[in-house]
Amino acid sequence: MHDNATAGRVEIDGSVFNPFSPDFIRAPTETWQKLLRDYPIAWHRDLQMWVVNSHELCGALLKDNRFSPNFRLWEHAPPEKAEADKNDWDHVFDHSLFVVDPRTHLKMRKLTMPAFSKPVMAKIDDKIRDLVDACFNDIGNPETFDVYEAIATKLPVRSIARMVGVPTDMEDFFHDFALNVVLSTRPNLKPDERERAVQATLPGFEFFKQMIRERRALDHPGEDFLGSLIAARDGDDSLDDYDILSIILALITAGSDTATDLHTYALKGLLEHPDQMEKLRAHPERMENAIIELLRHGSMGKFPFFRFAAEDAEFGGQAIAKGQCILVNLSAAWHDPAKYPDWDRLDIDRNLDGNLVFGAGAHFCIGTYLVRVQGGLMIKEFMRRFPRAELRNGDGDIDYDYSHHNARRITRLCVETHVADTEEAA
Amino acid sequence: MQQWICVICGFIYDEAEGLPDHGIPPGTRFEDLPDDWACPECGSPKSAFEPYVG
Repeated sequence: MHDNATAGRVEIDGSVFNPFSPDFIRAPTETWQKLLRDYPIAWHRDLQMWVVNSHELCGALLKDNRFSPNFRLWEHAPPEKAEADKNDWDHVFDHSLFVVDPRTHLKMRKLTMPAFSKPVMAKIDDKIRDLVDACFNDIGNPETFDVYEAIATKLPVRSIARMVGVPTDMEDFFHDFALNVVLSTRPNLKPDERERAVQATLPGFEFFKQMIRERRALDHPGEDFLGSLIAARDGDDSLDDYDILSIILALITAGSDTATDLHTYALKGLLEHPDQMEKLRAHPERMENAIIELLRHGSMGKFPFFRFAAEDAEFGGQAIAKGQCILVNLSAAWHDPAKYPDWDRLDIDRNLDGNLVFGAGAHFCIGTYLVRVQGGLMIKEFMRRFPRAELRNGDGDIDYDYSHHNARRITRLCVETHVADTEEAA
Repeated sequence: MQQWICVICGFIYDEAEGLPDHGIPPGTRFEDLPDDWACPECGSPKSAFEPYVG
């Protein structure tokens, strides 16, 4: 396959970069620095995909229309079904922001942006603040607790569920739906694993179809997120049911499973750097910059983004063949010394112009402001309630899910709160 | 003076405020930004911006 394209190809294998290795997941820095130094772009023989590592190339690739997030362009993608055989997942996928042509994509972003814009998201603050309060009330005042269990598994999915109007008692149902939506298009999973995930999404899509039907039957669809999508107009353009479902899908993929890591890595970063925590406490107006920097510094990704070549393309001095998969290794790029000479330093005041923390170009993270609001509320509340918190035993007794599909997922991060000391001092 | 929104990421360019940190003084009209100017948030081109009424 692609014999004519392999001459002069820079290649690596699992001995250079093995994202499944527990050693890599625990301590990825050395591997990333080797990739950045020696392999800004390379074909990975074991993964059968390109791996793009440097900040410059990752940024260029994300803005290059020859490379699409459309999973169906992948040379190993399952064949598209006949129209009559398609289920809701297929229809929603056909309408998704990752699949539609660039012109339709821009139309959909125009129609949906009012619902996602910074001013609207600032108002989300009021809608999810009680969720943050409830989460910390549930934690109470223990001497020690696990950030992953108590915060990271709760807040992201509850926030998204609240935003799209899912009742609180359906949280588990929504969580399973969200996870399977993410799993259903991961190129690093086996076909039968993806198909299981597809089937598991169908009850969720039926639930949301019913919600949309009920809203459309009202005189006014409502002022909330779902209502604003139903009411969205741009000239003669509007969103149909599958468009709206695809936006919900985008919100879920961007904001629930991925945001789990925001909470653990943000607190890990701050607790490991008390000077930065103190600075943030004194200057809460720097929260947004701090969150981006905490994500950059923590760099939680294992398989961050994928793109698929829509045509044969020369890129970064390499010949990429149509249909090949490309891992956009943003986790490495965020630590690229060419972009950040002091990449290993956490600095909440860092100038982050041109950062790729939420991607770049046409598919820039649609939920970026929601994540920032959610993360900001959580960090402020954590600092207020546990001003003397430290990582337990120095590293929080940290543990990872070594088989997670895309993240170096922290599954245990314990803090000692020192609440008794705090109360005594007060 | 008008505001413009990037339809990709939601960044709002306010002509009255400009972007002093990026060398764009207050009062700079959107049409006067360089043709190759890009959204400071997501890198999208000027064509991704539309007038915004908050």
